[in-house]
Amino acid sequence: MEFLIISTLNGVTYGLLLFMVSAGLTLIFGMMGVLNFAHASFYMLGAYIAYTVTTTINFWLGLLIAPILVGLLGIFVERNLLRRVHAYGHAHELLLTFGLAFIFEELIKLFYGDFPVNYSMPDYLRFPAFTIFGTDYPFYRVFIGLVAVGMFVTLYLLLSRTRAGLVVRAAERLPTMAESLGHNVPLVFMGVFGTGAAFAGLAGAVAGAFFPTNPNMAIELGVIVFVVVVVGGLGSLEGSLVASLLIGLFSSFAVGLDWSLAGLLSWVGLGDWARSVGGLFTLTLSSISGTVPFLLMLIVLLVRPAGLMGERN
Amino acid sequence: MLARTALIAALLIVLIVVPPFLGIGWQNALTNMLIASLFAMAFNLLIGQAGLLSFGHAAFFGVGAFATLHLMGAIEDRVVSFPTPLLPLAGAAAGFVIGAFAGYFATMRSGVYFALVTLAIAELLHSLAPHWDGLFGGEAGLSSMRMPWAGLTFGSPLQVYYLALGWAVLSILLLWAYTRTPFGRLTLALRDNEQRVRFIGYNAHTTKVIIFSISAMFSGIAGALLAISNETANYSLFSTHVSAQVVLHTFVGGSTVFLGPAVGASIFTLFAFYISEVTRTWLLYQGLIFVLVMLYAPQGIGGLVQTHIQHWSKISWPELGRAYALAAVVAACFAAAVVFLVESFAIIFSPEYAAARGRLDGTWPPFKLFGVEWEVFSPVTWMIPIGLLAVGLLLLPSARRMLRETWDQILERAEAARTAKSEIQLAGAMER
Amino acid sequence: MKSRSIGLALGVAVALGLPAEAVQAEALKIGIIESLSGTQTSTGRLFAAAAKFVVDDINKNGGFNGSPIEVIEYDNAGGSTGAADKFKQAVADGVHIVLQGASSAIAGQITEDVRKHNIRNPGKEVMFINLGAEALELTGDKCHFYHFRFTTTAPMRVNALVNAMKKAGELGTRVYAINQNYSWGRDMEDATKAAAKTGGYEVVATVLHEVNKIQDFSPYVAKIKEANPDTVVTGNWSNDLLLLMKATGDAGLKVRFATTFLDQVGNIANAGETALGHYVAHPYNIEADNTDFPQAYKAATGHLPVYIEPQTVNAVRTLGQALKSVDFGGGDIKVSEIAKALEKASIDTPMGKITVRAEDHQAVIPVVVSKVIDNPKYPVDDTKFGFGVVEIIPGPDAIYPVQASCKMERPS
Repeated sequence: MEFLIISTLNGVTYGLLLFMVSAGLTLIFGMMGVLNFAHASFYMLGAYIAYTVTTTINFWLGLLIAPILVGLLGIFVERNLLRRVHAYGHAHELLLTFGLAFIFEELIKLFYGDFPVNYSMPDYLRFPAFTIFGTDYPFYRVFIGLVAVGMFVTLYLLLSRTRAGLVVRAAERLPTMAESLGHNVPLVFMGVFGTGAAFAGLAGAVAGAFFPTNPNMAIELGVIVFVVVVVGGLGSLEGSLVASLLIGLFSSFAVGLDWSLAGLLSWVGLGDWARSVGGLFTLTLSSISGTVPFLLMLIVLLVRPAGLMGERN
Repeated sequence: MLARTALIAALLIVLIVVPPFLGIGWQNALTNMLIASLFAMAFNLLIGQAGLLSFGHAAFFGVGAFATLHLMGAIEDRVVSFPTPLLPLAGAAAGFVIGAFAGYFATMRSGVYFALVTLAIAELLHSLAPHWDGLFGGEAGLSSMRMPWAGLTFGSPLQVYYLALGWAVLSILLLWAYTRTPFGRLTLALRDNEQRVRFIGYNAHTTKVIIFSISAMFSGIAGALLAISNETANYSLFSTHVSAQVVLHTFVGGSTVFLGPAVGASIFTLFAFYISEVTRTWLLYQGLIFVLVMLYAPQGIGGLVQTHIQHWSKISWPELGRAYALAAVVAACFAAAVVFLVESFAIIFSPEYAAARGRLDGTWPPFKLFGVEWEVFSPVTWMIPIGLLAVGLLLLPSARRMLRETWDQILERAEAARTAKSEIQLAGAMER
Repeated sequence: MKSRSIGLALGVAVALGLPAEAVQAEALKIGIIESLSGTQTSTGRLFAAAAKFVVDDINKNGGFNGSPIEVIEYDNAGGSTGAADKFKQAVADGVHIVLQGASSAIAGQITEDVRKHNIRNPGKEVMFINLGAEALELTGDKCHFYHFRFTTTAPMRVNALVNAMKKAGELGTRVYAINQNYSWGRDMEDATKAAAKTGGYEVVATVLHEVNKIQDFSPYVAKIKEANPDTVVTGNWSNDLLLLMKATGDAGLKVRFATTFLDQVGNIANAGETALGHYVAHPYNIEADNTDFPQAYKAATGHLPVYIEPQTVNAVRTLGQALKSVDFGGGDIKVSEIAKALEKASIDTPMGKITVRAEDHQAVIPVVVSKVIDNPKYPVDDTKFGFGVVEIIPGPDAIYPVQASCKMERPS
């Protein structure tokens, strides 16, 4: 019972963190057709900027400055780099963002070193939010979850209740039409890209204080975020929320489950044979918990590429 | 045409004759260059010719390496007897089979989704391999030893180099021959208009699977050569870094020209060998070069060379030479400024420098770069990159103008010649 | 294509233009193939710094064979493929002795490369001194004459911990083993299980997890809580240890940790008060050192010797001792002679005597068991905590038996 509750709590907070990063990515893809490989780099940059500000000035200022700076960087990237290769096609845009991800990672290694930095929350935030079954649940995890929920609500309200959101949705559906109605569609694209980047930066600033902050953060999280947006449906905000929670919960539960194919086969009496064969059969779910999301992504891509809630294309 | 064949022949002669005189460090570097070139050529079969961008080609490279190591282990334990020079066949076979399997599923999708499927397959292997001891040797990987055959011990890096050279040249020849076959033409057609290919009566999916398998097969040969050279392989061969490197190499070299990827791979591997001992910031330069090529020369270096060859007779060399000289000056200024800044920052932000500061109680000692000592807070130090940047920025507009004008003229002349030729042809046709 | 030809031409020019070997005494070349970039950079640099400290000392006293000893650093980028490449480069540069310690996986790669090189190049052998890779297989089925291990192994550390903690009455009867899923982690798990009888405890559960990939250890902490142990034995290092302890602290779980790498730089700073009372088994504790070594080390490098630096210093000092007993008269260096001399070398260190066991080239070194305390003589990581000595176990008592899988072929 305790395992169930703690794992659910952990899974939900981790999933919400994944959502913070994948929300921007899925919006950008839905709107511009560009799968931004550098999106997880924005997450990493947010963490490092927040680290720098925290160690020189103040933690909360870091949480404020990081998303702003990363958002500005996103705007710069869209306007000056992506727009330039737009004419060469989607493959080229993909490759450009790919190269950018490379450069960001190397720049971080240049200035901060190729090892983790000690970015952590101030001591007064390090208390248990509540105690359940004798185990403390850290407040900061709840804080991460709250920021993510706040972000989702903000995005949802922005998109559905404001005029700007209306224009964004129109530009996503029919860009040329929106443009001929007089809206500045390139500006909209720039804004969406910048906002997506800013949110990823905020996620990095908030999560980097809890999880390790190192130059590999972008790659480690980046691949999982791709899984999330694919499973949720490229372009769908709700889908990405559902998928992030799913993957978060799964990662959390898988650690404690020692199921294996051999165990499954022992239900039909072939357990000992499977164990003697070894190899694939004796791999436990807990040890391959990192592999299953990719399997899920493959299945979704092959069976229903629109994902859980994306539009069929 | 003749010039091109002569150039390639000369290159081959150099590759055959020179290495015995080089140290083993260089021989190893050349072997790595050959492996990277072959891998890039195999990768380009998919993107350059079939228009399918794969982000997980490391999967087949790695599979080829592991298959070869298993065979090497079997030979070492005297379970089978197999000629060592033919070891890459194991890599080819494994690459082909796994490629067919993976390709069947991957080619069900196109565009971004195809890329994501290939990425997922590679990541799947990458996360599964460390746990699968039997097939992939777990975290440590597999290790074996090259066994002698027909009097050759294959103990020295030189013999490994010649083996790699033989297989690389053979494979690239086969790839070139492939482009000459009707199936090769079909591949190009697939990239241009898949629907039309279907309408002609071909099964597009089967065609794509075959192309994917062939590309994976040659990637497997490249992986096999790596396994033979290093006598070891572990799960890190499936990492995104390996897939990323082949993408970088191919596009910097130019994916529209046949030998473009090999050029890109060679330049990068040789540069990495030369520079990586001197500076650890090599990867940053690699990324910057890639992004610059993507932005300003989307056809890559090979594409640039190709354009020059195409318009050879229309080029007025004195004019173009002047434009290029100016552009070279601008590029040199920017490059020098960037290198100076990056290298300075690399030193100032390094842990060794921080330790030196700790020893001197927090003062900022001067750092050594390019043989000169620089003060950290002196304006002289920073004036140099800023000055270089300023000069570059000043000259940039004129350089761009000169380049644009010269090339506009060249293209005009080419266009004029073409219309003149077609007029003659039309006139000739009318006469008939 | 043109650039390739030019590159090759340049390469030829460079190779041919290289100056001929100076006609003087052959200098001993030591190659440090370490993780100087990548996630283990901080540890890799410590190995390099400590090795250079001793070599500088030897050079101040005349070097070896009539010349100063040359040290060349190679960055293996934290991976075994990089290590394989750099080993080839080191051989091309004429390196005689390779030093490495930051990873058992990389050490496995290097030792195999060294072995194969020596088979193919008799008379031009290369030696590998393992400064810190503790996987048993390196002196087990991967053992060979030109590999020497100068650090502890899992059984040495676990047995020391178990015995010392039992004596102090802090071991308990329920032990949980959580380790990383590779050679070292599996060795630790086996050693913990093997010591159960003499330690008088029951191993309640064992866990092997992915190496350096886990960001969030709270599910593992939940599992540990479920099993309700008295002591948790772990061989985790770097992030894996840090995050495990952080998650344990966050969850408020009261359990004693028996570790092998708690003294890694940064761990105590990050763990803070939650580290108090936890145990570590390591080859050196500065609190028990009354010689002038700590101050001499600080004068040269800027910091007191920490973590794996003392064992590295001891390893290279033992090499120095061996070098004193061979004389090539300024001529060609024969690594086989150095290896034979190293087998017989021994030095005195602040923790005790160090010798080398000829059967598997494992150095017989003392093991110290320490506990994290408040206000020690030498606080670590700019905190007020440090490591108090619980027990120093002399080499012959700490050593593990020679493994049956080691079949070393000796040169004639």
